[in-house]
Amino acid sequence: MSRAFREFNKTSDKKIEEIIIHTGQHFDKNMSEVFFTELEIPHPNYNLEIANLPHGAMTGRMLEAIEVVLKDEQPDYVLIYGDTNSTLAGALAASKLHIPIAHVEAGLRSFNMKMPEEINRILSDKISNLLFCPTEIAVINLKNEGIVSGVHNVGDVMYDVTLYYREQAKAKIELSKWNVTDGNYALCTIHRAENTDNLSRLQSIFDALREIAKELPVILPIHPRTRQLLKRLDKETWLKSINILEPLPFLEMLRLEMSAKVILTDSGGIQKEAYFHEVPCITLRDETEWVETVEMGWNKIVGADKEKILNAYQSYDIELNKKHQQSPYGNGNTANKILEILINEKN
Amino acid sequence: MKKIDIVVGARPNYIKAFPVYEALNKTGNFDLRLINTGQHYDDNMSNIFFRQLGMKKPDVDLSVGSDSHAVQTAKIMIKIEKEFLRKKPDLLIVFGDVNSTIAAALTAAKLNIPIAHIEAGLRSFDRSMPEEVNRILTDQISTYLFTTSPEAEKNLLLEGKIKKQIYFVGNTMIDSLVKFEKLFNCSDLLIENKLIKKEYILVTLHRPSNVDNPSKLKDVANSLNMISEKTEIIWPIHPRTWGKLNQYKILLNERINITKPKGYLEFMGLQKNAKFIITDSGGVQEESTYFGIPCFTVRDNTERPITVNRGSNILVGSDFTKLFDVIIECGKKEKRRNLLPEKWDGASSERIASIIINNIL
Repeated sequence: MSRAFREFNKTSDKKIEEIIIHTGQHFDKNMSEVFFTELEIPHPNYNLEIANLPHGAMTGRMLEAIEVVLKDEQPDYVLIYGDTNSTLAGALAASKLHIPIAHVEAGLRSFNMKMPEEINRILSDKISNLLFCPTEIAVINLKNEGIVSGVHNVGDVMYDVTLYYREQAKAKIELSKWNVTDGNYALCTIHRAENTDNLSRLQSIFDALREIAKELPVILPIHPRTRQLLKRLDKETWLKSINILEPLPFLEMLRLEMSAKVILTDSGGIQKEAYFHEVPCITLRDETEWVETVEMGWNKIVGADKEKILNAYQSYDIELNKKHQQSPYGNGNTANKILEILINEKN
Repeated sequence: MKKIDIVVGARPNYIKAFPVYEALNKTGNFDLRLINTGQHYDDNMSNIFFRQLGMKKPDVDLSVGSDSHAVQTAKIMIKIEKEFLRKKPDLLIVFGDVNSTIAAALTAAKLNIPIAHIEAGLRSFDRSMPEEVNRILTDQISTYLFTTSPEAEKNLLLEGKIKKQIYFVGNTMIDSLVKFEKLFNCSDLLIENKLIKKEYILVTLHRPSNVDNPSKLKDVANSLNMISEKTEIIWPIHPRTWGKLNQYKILLNERINITKPKGYLEFMGLQKNAKFIITDSGGVQEESTYFGIPCFTVRDNTERPITVNRGSNILVGSDFTKLFDVIIECGKKEKRRNLLPEKWDGASSERIASIIINNIL
């Protein structure tokens, strides 16, 4: 979106001022500081530095701090993205001050209320005035909850991002950095509480990874929380034969995603990115918000069951013909569409 | 024993929560904990309350006090999360639409504690009301939805909630009215103000849109002055509103009797004995319907349409310059029917308790 704002300001008489509030929810340097630098996103105007708290306290503290900023800045819109605590806190703060809210990535549902992200999504959508859906299914989800006004299917902003940075990643970063070659390794990410906080799920996943590692290098950029947990439980042997990395900067992650033979993940975004790169995905969760990827055969939802993970891994070779269908995520022009709607609504 | 946390934060909450607490307590099946967020601090609104009604004192008092909506919600979330983590309740019960309702529900939802929302499904369809936002959000994350009217169920179904989550039980606030009705008494107050039963109008106004803006407040005063020429008024007034009236030198007719905010029993007495009521409150619309006293609601919408469709409530819009004419016009019409909504019978809390025992815990 920042890029779209910049481009717009270059050519338009009316200028859009973007004020970025960073809540600090992700505290790891690789996960956010580098993010801003690498993606050429302007640095946040505000850094609230709220992290490492239980969900209730975190959302509460963000709510307080965001309200202060919104009162000072008096924005015309508050844009929120995705489904984090920051998303919901931003929405709540804006809603209490009657500032119109635009939710990017609206309408996604996993239908599992045990996920904190699902709560964040549903509530953010309920109080948003403009709902920018990445897919038609998201539009339908909202309709089923009685939300029809302000809903726009604009495609997926992450597709914009992926297209834009893919070439950059390819030019700048060599796979040899990790001692792997194109199409000859598996990439894995695990970060969701349902996996990292559940020892038997975690063990089952690592058992499967070790099995895969017998024939294919497995690369796992590990979340600091997962690493700490394994250390504490003295289970670091689970990591044997897996290529463990620190959390990766965005471009490096993108580089690894695009050339993997298969991606195993419990992340929401990565399932879809795998599809953008035409890499088969095995999702280590019991449900997904990205049902389109499953319907098209590019994603299998297997949970944490070792056998299911291995089955999915083995069956991909036979099943998939790598022909890209019509993308359900738009044409990579999402940010501009959003911008256009924001401007029209304002006029 | 299953653990239930009951969270209250403001006066209307106590009235709704008290009978539910009693009904659950009577079963002897649950380890109950009553948490007061302290969202309202005011002796009339809380302490007197416990004394007059013999309501159980809260087990936990979070004492958050008043603040901006966001800050208040945030403070409650931060404090109540610690309580939930400590006790790990099997069920959270929240009431109505105040900041405490959504703050407690949101925190519990993140901890995967099931939530029961009492008074679910009310909708004014006016998002500029903070209460509307609180209602919508709380209903979305609640597993069990206890409703006061069939309309509420319809609203919830339209928002994608499913039928088996919804229990039409009636109105627990009415349980309190039924239980305490014999104690409602405003005789001293009427004598003090030289008022006669059924010959005065009760006025209650508290919405910021009516009492915070000086020009609006002038409209309010003008219209009440006119009305009081016909019938005397009693107006229990919030000190802040009284301050505003003085600050802007807005004069009130001497036939408008100003008093401090009253305790529950006395205030209910004032409602029950009024000729009619002028209000912008949610609860008063329901209470007046129970008493069968005509109630002019000076708002553009109501989340409680059943009080209009069946009860004695008349939605007159928020334009005070028209209020006098509207009231005169209503007086000319034939007497309105006044029916008590279904299941507003004093047994709603019992219904809730038995549903919790049989279907939930």
